[in-house]
Amino acid sequence: MTGITLQNISKRFKTETAVDDVSLAIQDGEFVVILGASGSGKSTILRIIAGLEVQTSGHVYIGDMLVDDYEPRDRNLAMVFQSYALYPHLSAYENIAFGLRVRRVPREDDPERLRRFSRDEIDTKVRSAGQMLGIGGMLEKRPAELSGGQRQRVALARAIVRDPEAFLLDEPLSNLDAKIRSNARIELKRLHARLRQTFVFVTHDQTEAMTLGDRLAILNHGRLLQCDSPDRVLSHPANQYVASFVGSPEMVFLEGNVEPAGTGYTFVKEPVRIPVRGVPRMGPVTVGVRPWDVRVERSSSPSAVPARVTGVERLGSSDQLFLELGAPSSPTVAPTLPPLPVRAVVRSYDFNVGDGVFVSFDADRALFFDAEGARLDSMSVATRLL
Amino acid sequence: MKPRRRRRWARLAKRVASHVILIGACAFALFPIYFIVVTSLSTLPIAGITAHVLVPSPSTITTASYGTVLYHLSPNFLTLLTNSLIFSGSSAAIGLALAAFTGFALSKFNFPGRRTFVYFILLISLFPGVLLVIPFYFMFSSLGLIDTYLGLIIPYSAGAVVFSGILVKNYMDSIPDDIEEAALVDGLSRTQAFFRVLIPLCYPVLGLAAFLAFIGPYTDFALAHVFITSNNLWTLALGIYNINSTDQGAQNYGLVTAFAVVMSLPIVVFYMVFQRYIIGGLTLGAVRG
Repeated sequence: MTGITLQNISKRFKTETAVDDVSLAIQDGEFVVILGASGSGKSTILRIIAGLEVQTSGHVYIGDMLVDDYEPRDRNLAMVFQSYALYPHLSAYENIAFGLRVRRVPREDDPERLRRFSRDEIDTKVRSAGQMLGIGGMLEKRPAELSGGQRQRVALARAIVRDPEAFLLDEPLSNLDAKIRSNARIELKRLHARLRQTFVFVTHDQTEAMTLGDRLAILNHGRLLQCDSPDRVLSHPANQYVASFVGSPEMVFLEGNVEPAGTGYTFVKEPVRIPVRGVPRMGPVTVGVRPWDVRVERSSSPSAVPARVTGVERLGSSDQLFLELGAPSSPTVAPTLPPLPVRAVVRSYDFNVGDGVFVSFDADRALFFDAEGARLDSMSVATRLL
Repeated sequence: MKPRRRRRWARLAKRVASHVILIGACAFALFPIYFIVVTSLSTLPIAGITAHVLVPSPSTITTASYGTVLYHLSPNFLTLLTNSLIFSGSSAAIGLALAAFTGFALSKFNFPGRRTFVYFILLISLFPGVLLVIPFYFMFSSLGLIDTYLGLIIPYSAGAVVFSGILVKNYMDSIPDDIEEAALVDGLSRTQAFFRVLIPLCYPVLGLAAFLAFIGPYTDFALAHVFITSNNLWTLALGIYNINSTDQGAQNYGLVTAFAVVMSLPIVVFYMVFQRYIIGGLTLGAVRG
């Protein structure tokens, strides 16, 4: 039970920088998800923590211990690989027992001297780990005889049985069928609640990240963009990349301008106008709205914009509508502006393709980004203007 | 109905054709062995391809040649066999150990010049070994190793390393790095991971490599003929050559073939022992799928 601290970690391979100055403090017992697209350096960070890869610069601490010069075996971490990496020549039982057989622990009577685990101790540990993960009945089987889900459990049991300082999990669910995956997700969360140990979980799947993590660390091109709770990441993304990467269906972005209007300011992207609170920055700005914050109605209201439904994606509990704003109400009228595509999430089966509708945006929940993608909140905008 | 029936006929024809071809190939491959066995059991001093030899009857079968081979040769058969087993066994053991390390280094370590080294080894293995007999002779005679056990074991195991090293490397390439890394995180040193994880996974290829490393020296004539002069160091291959060149065996095919049959037995046994390791597929199931 220990936290892990990364201090200005960078990793360069021959020509490319895989990890770029990442600092991250993982608390004892925390479930941190490192989220990023492929090639974002997320697995490299995990491998650096494990000691399988050596950082070019920066320091890794496990607890208070600086472990930069430690071999993987001296770090006492457990890792679950994407491929599970079970030993194919050994039974599930021997796979789980493997780490215990080579490990030495201090003797009870003389802590200066080390001893191996006895056969009975190993047997007890292996069987209780197998029990905990529901694979007690298949411990004698070889990995080849097990299903994907069972292999994944064996890999987890192999990690648990060692009683490590922390668990490192490298996309452990990505090789499972969709159906088992959501189950495995819940079980993993339960396991964490039960063990109360530090989990570092790497994934590219934002749903997985949102449901599992106490905190998400979002990575792009080796840089840590944000590390926050799932709620915070969703409601206060640090920048446009995070805003688009997290949340499903993806956020709707509109590029336009902020103009003075009456006593306040308004974001304008014809035919959309969104009133802006606080002191905004004038000029080009991108607005981001979650599709479920886009209101779609049959009847007109003051700020609503006419639109046409061009596509419907049935998501199950809801529908995602593909809309064209500013589309003329009848096909015979020539459009004055090129139609503006947006998406909205609405109740299932409320609308169909071809419907004429009215769209409005929840101004309170709109996010503003500058041309570089950094988020503008009222505070930072205000300071920028001063 | 008709197309279905036609398809069934086609399938049947295919099976018949493939069986005929395979049986033919088998006969072609096995006939020499049959011929040798039958000849070794015949009484004729000079074997000819006659029905008499090819279809033995109980009245013409004799094991006299085997008696001569086993009890009346000089140096005796047991000495030859012991020598052959010493040469082949130790060359296979040494060659195999070195090949395992070579394969590990070439497959799992990144060092400058690795690819060049692999190509270099492949290039070396293109040269026929006989070419090396004369330079080897000068080298080993200046080292005083001619006509000794060590003098043959060194070049034999070196030969085994060249080929088997590449064999092991290719096999280890197919073992995902994840598995070795899992062992490192599990608390093993790199050396422990090699012996406890990689080596067991390599049993199939090591079995094959051992078999090849054993057969090479066991059947070698060229190098042994040049390097060994004392009778008491003769190998089986030198022994069979010797029968042929003596009065007793000059044209006694019964004797030569009986010798060949007995000589091949250790290889058959060796193969049967290692066959179970040569059955591959041990790495299946380690990864997804």
